[in-house]
Amino acid sequence: MATDIIDEQYLGQPFVETENSVKNRKAVSDNILALHMRTSDRFWQIATVTGILFAIGIVGYFYRIFTFENPGSAGYYVALFSFMMTTSAGAPMVAIAPRIANAHWRRPISRIAEIWTLIGCINLILFIPLLWVLPNLDNGRRSLWFYWEKQDNLWIPEVVKYSPHIWSTMAVLGLIVLGIALLWISCLPDFAVIRDQGPDGWRKKWASKLSLGWRGTTSQWNWQHHRMGALGALYFMMLVLVHFFISVEYLMVHVPGWIDSLYPITHAHNALHGGVATVMLTMFIVNRFGPFKGYITLDQFHGLGKLLLALSLLWFWFWFSSFMVFWYGKKPSEQALVELLVKGPYLYMFLVEFLLVFIIPWWTMIWNPFRRSIWGPSIIAISVLVGTFLDRIRLNVASWDVAGITARKFNENNGEFTSDFPREMMLNMRLPENPTVIKEFVGLDIPINAVGPGAIDVLVILGFISGAIFLYMMATRLIPLVNIWEQKELLLYNAEIKFHRTKVRVMGKPR
Amino acid sequence: MQEHTQLTQKQINDELLKDILHLPKWWLPAVLFLLTIVLAGYSAFGYMIYHGLGVTGLNRPVFWGFFIANFVFWIGISHAGIMISAILRLTQAEWRRPITRAAEVMTVFSLAAALHTPMMHVGRPWRVLYWIFPYDFSRDIWPNVRSPFVWDPSAVGTYLIASTLFVMICLLPDLAILRDRAKNPLVKKIYAQFALGFRGTPRQWKLQIIAGILLSALVLPVFVSVHSIVSWDFAVLIGVEGWRSTIFAPYFIIGAIHSGVSAVAMLMALTVWIYGLQNYIKPDHFDAIARLLIIVATTWFFFFFLEWVWALYTLETPEVALRELQAEQWPYGPLFGIFIITSFVIPVPIWLFKRFRRNAVIMFWTCVLVNIGMWLERFLIVIPGLLRRSHMTFDWGSYHPSIIEIAIVVETFAFVALGMLLFAKVFPLVPLFDVKEGMINRHLIKIGRRVIPATIREGLPHHYYKNHSDPIIERSKEE
Repeated sequence: MATDIIDEQYLGQPFVETENSVKNRKAVSDNILALHMRTSDRFWQIATVTGILFAIGIVGYFYRIFTFENPGSAGYYVALFSFMMTTSAGAPMVAIAPRIANAHWRRPISRIAEIWTLIGCINLILFIPLLWVLPNLDNGRRSLWFYWEKQDNLWIPEVVKYSPHIWSTMAVLGLIVLGIALLWISCLPDFAVIRDQGPDGWRKKWASKLSLGWRGTTSQWNWQHHRMGALGALYFMMLVLVHFFISVEYLMVHVPGWIDSLYPITHAHNALHGGVATVMLTMFIVNRFGPFKGYITLDQFHGLGKLLLALSLLWFWFWFSSFMVFWYGKKPSEQALVELLVKGPYLYMFLVEFLLVFIIPWWTMIWNPFRRSIWGPSIIAISVLVGTFLDRIRLNVASWDVAGITARKFNENNGEFTSDFPREMMLNMRLPENPTVIKEFVGLDIPINAVGPGAIDVLVILGFISGAIFLYMMATRLIPLVNIWEQKELLLYNAEIKFHRTKVRVMGKPR
Repeated sequence: MQEHTQLTQKQINDELLKDILHLPKWWLPAVLFLLTIVLAGYSAFGYMIYHGLGVTGLNRPVFWGFFIANFVFWIGISHAGIMISAILRLTQAEWRRPITRAAEVMTVFSLAAALHTPMMHVGRPWRVLYWIFPYDFSRDIWPNVRSPFVWDPSAVGTYLIASTLFVMICLLPDLAILRDRAKNPLVKKIYAQFALGFRGTPRQWKLQIIAGILLSALVLPVFVSVHSIVSWDFAVLIGVEGWRSTIFAPYFIIGAIHSGVSAVAMLMALTVWIYGLQNYIKPDHFDAIARLLIIVATTWFFFFFLEWVWALYTLETPEVALRELQAEQWPYGPLFGIFIITSFVIPVPIWLFKRFRRNAVIMFWTCVLVNIGMWLERFLIVIPGLLRRSHMTFDWGSYHPSIIEIAIVVETFAFVALGMLLFAKVFPLVPLFDVKEGMINRHLIKIGRRVIPATIREGLPHHYYKNHSDPIIERSKEE
């Protein structure tokens, strides 16, 4: 047995006692539980405001889904959905990845990251109407579902025309279910603590039901660790898959000639980037305004700040890898794409986004004093989130504008194409050299300009972002924001020793 | 890392320097054997210069053959050094310590091997000078800096300089030990020159550590840029549709890391077998690198899948024709099968089992398979890409590598092996100071009835914790 060999090789060698005493473990439980039970007036004030905004957003949502005239009017709506998926769905990775890598600094913030999985419910509400807005394969658009038959020089799809709808729904649903399962399994020991040690009340009642009879036996701990590892890995794979679908089926396929094999990876990376920024901002709010200031320390900001810097640099590299091939290759259809998405109507939006997502994080976070602070990485997190939102608007609104033009041509003729151009254009994957001339081909007076949001769009955006905050805040009433069992586990591996003339911490890393 | 042998500093010095200060019996025959292959390769090169590029299998339209595939392969291998050394150093992965030096040195030699293949490929290597100087002084004609072929030598050259500096900085403390332990006055003097007066004062250590961390961080963008640029040699071409893919830069880099880290795992096994360093490189190290390889290989496979999906998604005739050529037609179809099987299908399932991950022999052979597959991957990108039939091409030939090309490719492998052997004779292949630091940082902690190894937590300086100590621990101490 490997463990016996390991035990034997350390036999007789001096060792250090960790801080894992019963007293310390109880101190952790009592403290987090006591802090968890507190709710300030400010909390309820913010919850009320966000709740009202959410209600208004829901009204706007119903108004919007019944007034989708053509896919072009869905640009901001899809941008919001994409932004929510990019931030809230990416946030749990901050708990999953460092847990797999055994990084101890993640312990106080892993729950903060995991609770964001609940926002999947809001994402699902946003996603459902998109099934009706997304054109089926009849309008000639490309899909990841391959075309197999060629008729009259055109490739005709043989797959079910709603394939993208089916698979995208399954992926989005899968991600939400996995996320909630992950959160639940992670919460089991903490629910048991609330059940056994918490004061009587609704929390105790709910925790008792949700703890599923957790007693902390060895087999239960082993079960929990294995499930969390497996679900974490599956969640990551599903996250990549969802962004694969969203980025392709809901964006790329609407713009003829947009063939960017890196795009799904870019989207998955943006999800990690946005997720880290979301958790960073949540940490900052918890640190400044919440009761857990003592747990969310500089160490967590430093650890996550390095990740934020690395992801900002990666953002540039991914963007440049695509841009370089399009820009340097000078292929006419790709030049048209650059004209539409980067240099054209959305130039200023792109420049601001570039500044917020890459330039500012890069030039500030490389400085140690800035990175090793609480304010620095938090400001950058806001910068990244705003930049990411602009990026979603730029890409989604532009793509859905083109989709709107081609779909309107289709609808106006009761399912028949009067001109073959839109269908042919989609099938041949060619955008005209200047994207503004699309309107001339389809005979519609719709210029490709930067489209501003309508009042309803603003309401929906504000309402649903507030709704995410509201739901998160409500969840923290039941679920402790700082993971009790992970904090207690830290005591197992943590010891302070004297090292020459100073004191240092030693951390054990279990196999 | 659970397995550990606590050694004294003297033991470490004795064990790691024994093959440097004494000559092992096997060393000379091995060097002579490799030298013979290298000389045979250079003779083939001389023959090629004398007779011209016609002695190779290159022809229209396949103007890039074995040489360029081999160039991309060695650039890929060179990524291992930085991957293992810089990234693992910055992320404070403890298991990196005994293997960093070998990985860094492999980077330097594989870059040298990579650099000389395109020089041979151009047929007249002295023309390399034209990349630097105006080739017509009177008319002041400079090389075209917009050409990817000027970016290549610039990027690879920068990477080579940065990697050499990195090796040099990390070598300083070990060179000082060699200087102090060498008996021969001449040898002592040479080591003293290289050691740059390193005495191990606190200031020197501080500078050495800061330089190492800075170089790790600075070399990372170079590491990324090198293979990105190599990929853009292909991707920015309009003429070859199969190469025109935005994913090429990340795909090349992840492929490079896949082959490079596999090469490091091979090197680890060889180091244990040849130099008997099982006290330093343990099954836990193989386990750690294999787990890293599972992630890298899976990511690489996903990128490969995306590249194929997008090629088929375009439905453009040349793209589809190229994929058919790569996967279905003789002889590329069988090679394609071997490539997939060796680089992913066989190794990754094997690495999923802990028993196999901890076995040096299995790790060595699976990593050999990976590198066979990854060499074939480069071959299958280069040759079928050029071979596909396009209009306006008036002459078609197939491509069969000549014996000259094969000799030169084999020479590059012997060159890297010879370089590593010569380096290991003069400098320690396992960094003494890094291993010693690991020993000092290591402690044991007791958890329940178990005693497990623990490491001093590197990270923020201690004074940062003065104001940010753990509130719970503080509170319980007060109580």
